Amino acid sequence: MANKKISVNSKSRRLMIHETVTSYLFLLPFLIFFVGFVLYPMVMCIITSFFDATMGREDIFVGFGNYKELFADPVFWKALWNTMIIVVVSVPVTCVFSLWVASAISKMPVAATSAFRCIFYLPVVTGSVAVTMVWKWMFNNYYGIFNYIGTSTGLIDQNINWLGDPRFALGCIILILLTTSVGQPIVLYVSALDNVDKSLVEAAEVDGATQMQAFWKIKWPQIMPTTLYILVITTINSFQCFALIQLLTSGGPNNSTMTIMYYIYYNAFKLYRYGYGNAMGVILAIIIAILSAVQFKVGQEK
Amino acid sequence: MKKLIALALAAVMVLSLAACSVEKTEPAATQAAAPAATEAAAPAETTAAPVEISLWTYPIGNWGTQETVDQLLAEFNAAYPNIKVTVEYLTYTDGDDKVNTAIEGNAAPDIVMEGPERLVANWGAKGKMVDLADLWTDETKADIYASVEAACNDGNGAYYEYPLCMTAHCMAINKTVFEETGAWQYVDADTHTWTTENFLKAVQTLYDAGYKNVGAVFCSAQGGDQGTRALYNNLYGGTFTNAEHTEYTMNSAENVKALETLYAQDGINFDASINGGEEADLFAQGVLQMAFCWNAATHAARTEVIGDSFEVFPMAFPSPNGTDTKLCGGIWGFGIFDNGDAAKIEAAKTFIKWVCDENTVESVSTSGFWSVRQSVADPYADDALKSVYGTFMQYMGDYYNVIPGWTEARAAAWNMLQQIGTGTPVQEAADAFVATANAAAGK
Repeated sequence: MANKKISVNSKSRRLMIHETVTSYLFLLPFLIFFVGFVLYPMVMCIITSFFDATMGREDIFVGFGNYKELFADPVFWKALWNTMIIVVVSVPVTCVFSLWVASAISKMPVAATSAFRCIFYLPVVTGSVAVTMVWKWMFNNYYGIFNYIGTSTGLIDQNINWLGDPRFALGCIILILLTTSVGQPIVLYVSALDNVDKSLVEAAEVDGATQMQAFWKIKWPQIMPTTLYILVITTINSFQCFALIQLLTSGGPNNSTMTIMYYIYYNAFKLYRYGYGNAMGVILAIIIAILSAVQFKVGQEK
Repeated sequence: MKKLIALALAAVMVLSLAACSVEKTEPAATQAAAPAATEAAAPAETTAAPVEISLWTYPIGNWGTQETVDQLLAEFNAAYPNIKVTVEYLTYTDGDDKVNTAIEGNAAPDIVMEGPERLVANWGAKGKMVDLADLWTDETKADIYASVEAACNDGNGAYYEYPLCMTAHCMAINKTVFEETGAWQYVDADTHTWTTENFLKAVQTLYDAGYKNVGAVFCSAQGGDQGTRALYNNLYGGTFTNAEHTEYTMNSAENVKALETLYAQDGINFDASINGGEEADLFAQGVLQMAFCWNAATHAARTEVIGDSFEVFPMAFPSPNGTDTKLCGGIWGFGIFDNGDAAKIEAAKTFIKWVCDENTVESVSTSGFWSVRQSVADPYADDALKSVYGTFMQYMGDYYNVIPGWTEARAAAWNMLQQIGTGTPVQEAADAFVATANAAAGK
């Protein structure tokens, strides 16, 4: 009996080791990729941020020198301010707009829902360069459609240099960002709303709940994980807004659309200041991590 | 390695950018057959073993066009069958990023085609290039213009560029509109020059005639910025740097007066939403009545767009007496990255010598510009319009782009124009620029 028990335990142990090894082998390709292309660069990014690193000479250790310079750099603060504006505006607007659209189209017939999902998802799957170029044409100072409509209808007296005027440039960037950001949240919200237990909604309605009450009391709590995910992803994407800036304004005019991401690129690629750029990257990562943690915490509490 | 990772990180951040450049890398030897005459010719020389080298070229006329370059390479391979050249076509939008990333990743191309501001003042100064002094024989030095030679070496005897072609960047006006509005009277049509006073009168005449967008001081980025620099430097005789190329002089009284004049002038926009190429496009479309970013190749590239809608009239930049204008030069040639492979370096030199010394006229014509050699006749003598552009070479000014800190200064310059365009006092913006640029020069 005892021998049989030992044999079973031994078999179970071997099976467990076998399964564990198999699992790790399946994970291995991704782990190699993760360590090589994510973890290692992250570590090197932190290390390099303590050096005055540039092309053509040995790196010089400067301790927290890059960080000290960073906090005294007015362009960095301007870039941080602009980035925060983009995040503060685009994240809530994206979430609210996506939820509104998803709520509206999820009640439609299946074909209509699919059609709207495709329409809103189009800017996501279309190349960012193509989308940006179309917007650039629409915002054109001399023959753009916005100026044409504005002057034709008498809304504006003369053409506005949308992307060349500090008063409007950041707003234009945020508008384009919104159009490219809402596609995925809409698709996610439609799925989440479909998965809400309909019997609970019906029961609430039988009990006299209004549509609004049914939404806030029944649907909202059930789609909260999706909301949390969308909040985190949209926040990160907003912080990392780069392509639009690079293609449309290069951070101008007068740094009015400078973001942290573009300033990192500008320092690393244009000025060869790798250490300084990496220091900014570290700060950006810390800010995103803190905000994401807060969002998770708040989401879990709700 | 750390730099590579640092750049890789930044590269990951910009992955969302679709590649703007056209990349076609095919071994030249396998491509289009050489012309019959070339095929018939016996190989002039062969190396001991086959060598494959890479050439990265910026869009310098048709040196940015695969079909044309393939033709040249086929001819080269007829003479040197053991050297295979693969080509990557860069753009000015992301070309520097690609080259810098490649350098830090120890994957730099063997040959790069561009100008001294990159080859000499940037990568050469950073120790990344091979010294090509052995290609610069006494005979070559005597033939190549002295100003070009000066731009191709670092001042200490090292030559990081072997030049092929050059041009003088100019501006252009819409002759049709100038004639219609009466502004044509302010142009010296024989010499293609005008005085500052006449330039301002012409702009005002066009503006008063209803052309609200006469010209644009474009400043969204650095593309085509030689045009705006030439404009404000020439108006009242200012300079961008001192003659020794050791200090930036942008905040001089002449330059400040020029920028203040331009800012106050009706019809001239400080436009932070366009760069030089976009300004040239707007001119070609008839939206702007003059272009400050212009040269023979810019004109050739927009011939179809312009069509018969108006007549383009190339002009030198306005200056106090009209003929003392100093145009910014463009010098293009080849540099070799020091990748530590002697055979490849030797093969690269063979290729460069073939392009610049043995096949000079065709190679120069491919660029659409003019030879840097005094012995080479104007390849466009039969082309009336091209000949006009050729006459601008006499106005070629100092090639100050080789001053230390050029990369950072260039970026700061369009930021300065943006500041002026948004109301910052010119002197304040110019002083801030000079402080930044001179700090970069002193590093």
